[in-house]
Amino acid sequence: MTAKKWLKTPKGYVTFALIIYLLIASIGSKDIMGIKNAFVAVFVSVIVDILCRTVKKRKWSMPDSAIITGLIISLILSTTSSVGVITATAVMAILSKYLLVYKKKPIFNPAAIGLLLSVLFFHSGQSWWGAFGDLPAWTIAFLLMGGYAITNRVNKYPQIFAFFGTSFLLLLLIGYFNIGGETDALRPPFINATLFFGFFMLTDPPTSPGKDKDQVIFGILTAVAGTLIYGLFGGLTYLYIGLVIGNLYSFLKKRLASKASMSRSNVIKNRGLQTFR
Amino acid sequence: MAKMDRKWVVLCSAAVAAVYATGYFSTEAEATKTTLRQHPPINIQTNADNPSVAESKNQPKKSLYKNGTFTGMGENRRGSIEVAVTIQNDKITDVEISDFAMHYSESDVVGLPDEVLQNQNAQVSNVSGATYSTQAFQDAVQDALYQAQNS
Repeated sequence: MTAKKWLKTPKGYVTFALIIYLLIASIGSKDIMGIKNAFVAVFVSVIVDILCRTVKKRKWSMPDSAIITGLIISLILSTTSSVGVITATAVMAILSKYLLVYKKKPIFNPAAIGLLLSVLFFHSGQSWWGAFGDLPAWTIAFLLMGGYAITNRVNKYPQIFAFFGTSFLLLLLIGYFNIGGETDALRPPFINATLFFGFFMLTDPPTSPGKDKDQVIFGILTAVAGTLIYGLFGGLTYLYIGLVIGNLYSFLKKRLASKASMSRSNVIKNRGLQTFR
Repeated sequence: MAKMDRKWVVLCSAAVAAVYATGYFSTEAEATKTTLRQHPPINIQTNADNPSVAESKNQPKKSLYKNGTFTGMGENRRGSIEVAVTIQNDKITDVEISDFAMHYSESDVVGLPDEVLQNQNAQVSNVSGATYSTQAFQDAVQDALYQAQNS
């Protein structure tokens, strides 16, 4: 595949957008550490991905999803994170892609799992600096432009509208009734995190459903779970926990569909045998 | 699968934006209140034993700070930290984090009060991966020291 063709694939779109965000955020914050961290995260992700593929005896393919995972990790982890934390986060993310699988496809979004475990094990600082959390509010326009382009490419509008609509509605209610006293989620840098998360992590095709109805349920479920966690406990893990629950729903849905189709094919087989007799 | 019609995309986007805007503006008052709470306008000296008298009687040389416990606040986009700094004869004798409202774990900055006691100023080394908490803590101690300063 030529570079021009690859750029038009969903992975090409995401990689291009994330690299642009990396550059904008680095220039905006006048900090080159983020770029250094991105090199570390991408390098580790690609190496672990290649090793896992070799161990699992899978066919060679370009490790573009590992590059995306590395970029997402580096854009979310604080630029002052140590090399050790970045490496561990990338390793956990890629391992989850090969260990927590159903029919060779990852059950959970690798970057979300890596970042969630990184908070739990290493108390890693996650600033979402690559979502322009420290830059002026107008930079959110970049998130919207890139986000809409990707959502359109992967055909996930029902999902993101369900997710953003439900999240904002619940946050409105939390704010209006003053539950938990949290008003931050609708303001930078949290709104930046929500938008980046919704557009770039939630829309990951292997870990999210394809059908419109399932997309809507997935979006609502992720939003409800995440916002409840935010309202009850605050912190920064609410988005990941929401996505883990959404991913579980998607996995169960696939499993049920697979079981149903298996039992259907068994019935057809049995009928065939009876006719033959 | 068919792509969503452009008209529907615009309509749904407008609906989501309207919900967001309603949430943003309906919590504006609460957000402003929180910011005001984080900037108490008064001197919050809590335990000074009449500093003006103590100064003139016991200290021939004018001291830099008043004696007592002073509260300072440091905040940024990731939350706020409030500290109580105790000063005796220009020496920082105790630093406590009295309120931790960052969106990160408090354990990140648990060693910083000891560092202030050691250094005898607000400068602390940056905790890797906890820059925002470190900054807020440092600003809070600086704020408390500012409150304690003799005019």
